[in-house]
Amino acid sequence: MEVTKKYWKGIEELNQTPEFKQLRDSEFPNQHAVEQFLVDNQLAESSSDRRDFLKFLGFSVAAATLAACEAPVTKAVPYVNKPEDVTPGVATWYASTYYDGLSYASILVKTREARPIFIKGNKDFGFTMGGTNPQIIASVLGLYDGERLNGVYAKGGNKNFPVDEADAAIISSLKSAREIVVLSPTVISPSMNTAISTLASVYSVNGSSKVKVVQYDGISYGAIRKANEQNFGAAIIPSYDFSKAKTIVSVGADFLSTWLLSNEYAVQYGLNRVPSNEMSKHYQFESIMSITGSNADGRAQIKPSETANVLAYILKGVGGATTVSSNIPKSAKSIADKAISSLKLSRNESLVVCGSNNEAEQLLTNAINNHLKTYGTTIDLSNDVKLYHTNDKEATQLFDKIISGKGPDVLINLGANPVYTSANGEKLRKGLNQIKMYVSTARYADESSSVANFIVPDHHQLESWNDYQPKSNHYAVAQPTIRPLGNTFSALESILVWAGSAVRNGKDSTVAYDAIKASASSLGCLDFAMLTHNSCCTLNTSEKSYAYKPASISATTKSGEWEVVFYQKTAIRNGAMSNNPWLQELPDPISKVTWDNYITMNPLQMDKMGLVTTFDQEHGLNLACVTVNGQKLTLPVYPQPGQAFNTVGIALGYGRGANGEAIGRGAYQTKEYGGYDLNEQGNKKTIGVNVFPFISFVNDLPAYSVNATVAKVEGEYLIAATQIHHTVMGRDSIVRETTLATFIKGDKESFNPAHKLQRLNEHGHHEEAELKEFDLWNAHPVDKVGHRWGMTIDLTSCIGCGSCLVACQAENNVPVVGKDEVRRGREMHWLRIDRYYASDQESSIGKKANKDDFSYSKAENAADNPAVVHMPLMCQHCNHAPCETVCPVAATTHSNEGLNQMTYNRCIGTRYCANNCPYKVRRFNWFNYPSYKKFSEVNPAQDDLGRMVLNPDVTVRTRGVMEKCSFCVQRIQATKLIAKKESTSAENAKEIIEEKFNTACSEACPTNAIIVGDWNDDGSAVKASSNEDRAYQALEEVGVKPNVWYKVKVRN
Amino acid sequence: MKISNIQQVTMANNLKLLVLLCVLFFVKHTSFAQGEGLFKSKCSSCHQIHKNGTGPMLNGARQRWVDAGEGELIIKWVQNNAALRASGASKRAAAVFKEYGGSQMTVFSDLTDDQVNQILDYADAQPKEDPSKAGTNVGSQDPNATQTNEDGGLGIMWIILAVLFIIVILSVGGVRRQLKVASTGDESYNQLTYWDEFKTIAWKYRGITGIVGLVLTITILVVVFKSLYSINVMQNYQPSQPIAFPHETHAGINGIDCKYCHNSVTKSKHAGLPTVNVCMNCHKQINGEGKPFAGEVKKIYAAAGWDPSFGPAGGYRNTKGKPLVWNKVHVLPDHVYFNHSQHVVVGGIDCKQCHGDMKQMKETAKVLPIEELNKVEGNIKLSKATLTMGWCIECHGAKEVTIGDGKNAYYDEIHSRLKKNKTLYKQYLANDGKLTANELGGWECAKCHY
Repeated sequence: MEVTKKYWKGIEELNQTPEFKQLRDSEFPNQHAVEQFLVDNQLAESSSDRRDFLKFLGFSVAAATLAACEAPVTKAVPYVNKPEDVTPGVATWYASTYYDGLSYASILVKTREARPIFIKGNKDFGFTMGGTNPQIIASVLGLYDGERLNGVYAKGGNKNFPVDEADAAIISSLKSAREIVVLSPTVISPSMNTAISTLASVYSVNGSSKVKVVQYDGISYGAIRKANEQNFGAAIIPSYDFSKAKTIVSVGADFLSTWLLSNEYAVQYGLNRVPSNEMSKHYQFESIMSITGSNADGRAQIKPSETANVLAYILKGVGGATTVSSNIPKSAKSIADKAISSLKLSRNESLVVCGSNNEAEQLLTNAINNHLKTYGTTIDLSNDVKLYHTNDKEATQLFDKIISGKGPDVLINLGANPVYTSANGEKLRKGLNQIKMYVSTARYADESSSVANFIVPDHHQLESWNDYQPKSNHYAVAQPTIRPLGNTFSALESILVWAGSAVRNGKDSTVAYDAIKASASSLGCLDFAMLTHNSCCTLNTSEKSYAYKPASISATTKSGEWEVVFYQKTAIRNGAMSNNPWLQELPDPISKVTWDNYITMNPLQMDKMGLVTTFDQEHGLNLACVTVNGQKLTLPVYPQPGQAFNTVGIALGYGRGANGEAIGRGAYQTKEYGGYDLNEQGNKKTIGVNVFPFISFVNDLPAYSVNATVAKVEGEYLIAATQIHHTVMGRDSIVRETTLATFIKGDKESFNPAHKLQRLNEHGHHEEAELKEFDLWNAHPVDKVGHRWGMTIDLTSCIGCGSCLVACQAENNVPVVGKDEVRRGREMHWLRIDRYYASDQESSIGKKANKDDFSYSKAENAADNPAVVHMPLMCQHCNHAPCETVCPVAATTHSNEGLNQMTYNRCIGTRYCANNCPYKVRRFNWFNYPSYKKFSEVNPAQDDLGRMVLNPDVTVRTRGVMEKCSFCVQRIQATKLIAKKESTSAENAKEIIEEKFNTACSEACPTNAIIVGDWNDDGSAVKASSNEDRAYQALEEVGVKPNVWYKVKVRN
Repeated sequence: MKISNIQQVTMANNLKLLVLLCVLFFVKHTSFAQGEGLFKSKCSSCHQIHKNGTGPMLNGARQRWVDAGEGELIIKWVQNNAALRASGASKRAAAVFKEYGGSQMTVFSDLTDDQVNQILDYADAQPKEDPSKAGTNVGSQDPNATQTNEDGGLGIMWIILAVLFIIVILSVGGVRRQLKVASTGDESYNQLTYWDEFKTIAWKYRGITGIVGLVLTITILVVVFKSLYSINVMQNYQPSQPIAFPHETHAGINGIDCKYCHNSVTKSKHAGLPTVNVCMNCHKQINGEGKPFAGEVKKIYAAAGWDPSFGPAGGYRNTKGKPLVWNKVHVLPDHVYFNHSQHVVVGGIDCKQCHGDMKQMKETAKVLPIEELNKVEGNIKLSKATLTMGWCIECHGAKEVTIGDGKNAYYDEIHSRLKKNKTLYKQYLANDGKLTANELGGWECAKCHY
């Protein structure tokens, strides 16, 4: 059966609001900016009249003409001693490892002229199999942040304190201290562990060490460890393998985006989401609409307090027994029953995960998994994950002591930020200020570290040697890809120096390198050259066997009228990288909101509460006040279809830098014409509100959901979301989906029918004919001649994670425009991910009778729990491109290789092309983003340091020109050149191109949803992919003949 | 080729010397030529014949080993010095290593015993050069080189002609008016200014005036636009440089290959400026003492952080060095992508085809006008100004790509695909019957602009 649902992007489209229709019909939204520009106070005061204007004009023309007669002098500075492996103009890649306390990945770093400019996953080595996430890709920008500390920071604001004096002061304090505490995010570095033990053994009294280590991440997964301690006698987090699971049941775990090693899981998940009899089934029970939930085959909305009941229901369903109540709402029951029958079929090839940080709920999850015998198949206890080792109890005790003034004599903070992430941040800050010697190795003078006696800043990840043991059988090293930019010091070196077993040597120091080399050989990775080449090696670990011991489970579920879920967003996560403008501007994959924090609520419930459910560039959202245990916060309420009733979601990670700390230029709200927006106290306004203080503790574990009250507050708040931008005018033929059962039958007509249009035949009767019969133009000669670059995007495997978008931004020098411009619909992303909701009422595509019948208003409760489709959309490189025919200056033309070329230096900015593009993928440079003051806070290309991240092979576009996806033509040309220079045979030439040509987006995709290549090469993967039955072209009936194929989404 | 008198003399002298040497040593050593070749390819970057450099001078090297009582070991030393040092069998080896600051000599395990002997024979056979002659071939610049400017004379001619023309027109008009006054007796004609008269005539023949005016305006516009397009602000651009670098001496007289210094030209989009360590390969020895260019070499030493007073073996003592800041000569706009390796490796274009014959460039490099490039042997004659887009386009449209000869597998593949579409292939060849860079994408915007 053909599945032909109705797709809509937002409530505005569903309700067909007048503003939506207006926006839909014009490519460029109303030019309010011009009017506001004219009423700008300063400009109104200026007294220049028309005559002056003409004088200025004449003078400028004359001046420009004169200036153009003399070419500016450009400098060329060759090396004094050229490093052996650097050739100017040629990229050098380094295999390395990324770890920031939350994400871990084996990566490849691209450097040009010794500057790291791009990060991609390492597909050849490491268990992450090339999987990354937006944060990992965007982390390269953090390297060039001018607000990163450059030198030792001493209390009082001295930013370049001599490091030797700081070291001496610290060592003397360590010697005289009675108690020393090392507070650190989870240490997975064997060398750092050794260094800390050295420190502990040096500073000891009568054989007992004065040093105590407290690990604290800010985000806790303690419940999993505690549950496993009860069930298996070891407080571990196991390795999960989603690729082996035929049935995946997740209760509140956003495992594709933010839960544990999500980038590893996304790759595994993708391997099993290929439509076939083996395709996995995925059921999700959750309160907020998460990325994982949006990909589920069955999704039920539950309140957080119902988590235990759902788990108990499943446990009983698969044959287990528990005393926990299994009363669940009807809507969840139907999905749960489906999940149970699927679990029973797949038995030990199943995987049940739970995202809550509640011990009882994790015990229930373990019980289900044990019952299904998944331990040993999809769950590997012997190869446990070393990350996420927060000791919440110890950390809380430590913070309480510090607050009450009984803190340790010396506190060494290796980059944790408890002032931001703990419940009593402000008090803790005052407490930290009282500590006799508080030393930090943070990279910024952030909330926690700005009160330290000394900050001896650590290098950026890309500047330093590091080693990691993320899992017990895996050892990896991170190698520096650039000499430290600033006056920073490896944290590993600092610890060794303070332990008295190393001497600093500035940037030439090899202390960290030597320590890591020693660790590597002691762990059994003997070939260090090979280790750095691969970035990792496998360790021999003794097989440990774990026997399951049942534990008594007493679930304490307190349901409230309203329950708040504190979740992580894929871009901002715990807030550590909230200063990264690429991430702030990444539209949230589900809500499509940029630069903001908000309360998510089901739109049906918002209607009842009298909150507006639609918004646009001039109309904001209503505010609501959420009260948790007497603490209040006010945020705009965002209509989120699929949100469970009586729950609201608020993202963690916002509200950084409440005291105006220098944590990066992009971390604060900016004014309409540049500069920071200041609050009443004169501090920079934070983006969103910090909700970490609202997290309550249950059994010493932070619980990421809590009961609350929600009330409407007067006020309106403008929000910048891209979901209503670049809409496709309600055309139906853009998304296609089907069910696995239909697909397996193999009848292409039933799930991917060819487009037919009506015409009059010679007898004057209507008849249906194939699209190609309607072609008015001669075909562009790209078939079978030379190359024809093509792309296929599999909507089934696309999970909507946003990695491709950030990778594209990094590769193609896409400017950041800030919230105000995004709100006006002027975001510059070349690639957008359209997120469509699909309502349950169906209207048939191509069958006229039903199509006319369909009415959005009839789609009853469509916004309650819609299905979701993610669709990456970039320039489709049409062979009959409508943009090309309307350009008056031939700035956009077609290449013989099928590319729609955009020549910036020809473009005069008429914007006709964008108006004529049916896919709405062209972007106009409204401003000079690299220099206009409005963007000085948000656009990294505005200062010399930030400019270093730009890709030298791609032009930085100027004001007044159009731009759009080029299919990474710089990479196409580079690959062709390699083939021209190195190919040994015609076959080899094809192989080189097939192997080496990848666009930034296809490289970044963790699930391999995007395939690119030479379509004219019959052996290429893209050709095979585009010939599959599932392949179709978006808006095929328009007849523009794109070079991009989509593949029908198949739900299991 | 312009060669100054002094240079010619030096060259003649050198030639005589060379012939003499050839005759002398052909008799003595049949392996002379082979030894010379080996010396130049393997040794000359570190060793000189008569002077200690990065390594000791080779003239008499064998004798010094014999004097040390280890005459037979020198062969082993040359072949694998590291092994010899490690074996501890040679005191001389350890001493040389120490003398030259522990700098490693390259291992030449591919050299046979005979070949090493040939090198040493060649080195020993070289007579010590007369220092008085050494300087004459370097740094001499001919101040008398003049360039006649034929265009200048032509311009003045045009101006004189135009003035003459105007005078003639005005006098004819004056004569006509006097005649009119004389014939009609109407004095009012005399009060008319030239402008009034012009207006009357123009009005009388307004149809023709209108058409002529329109044509004139359009012509002027077209001419102005066309001439504006051909303006090339880069032509003859020759910025001052931190070091007065004579290409003529390096590439011309000394015959250094372009790729020795611009060594990324085959790998990268940039040809690359030589890094200071490349300069030092030779200039450790060529310090120019007593020569006019000594000051320029000192600038290299300053950049390298090299102190010549410590001798050629161990000068890097004091400072870390400071990069030389050159002024770019060929500057392309940011929106243009140009790749040297594409042209040099794939296109097989010689440097001089775009840069002119640098062997003759006496001053620091400059952008050559197209007229000079057209004189370069083997060049397609082009008309557009150098470093303009017209220049690139013109050459891409004219440069034929040889295909199907098995030399470039990539083009063979593309060509075989092209042949499948006969109509298009014919279209391609229809213009000029040639398969040029244009037909293979050389005119496509995204070839250079992205």
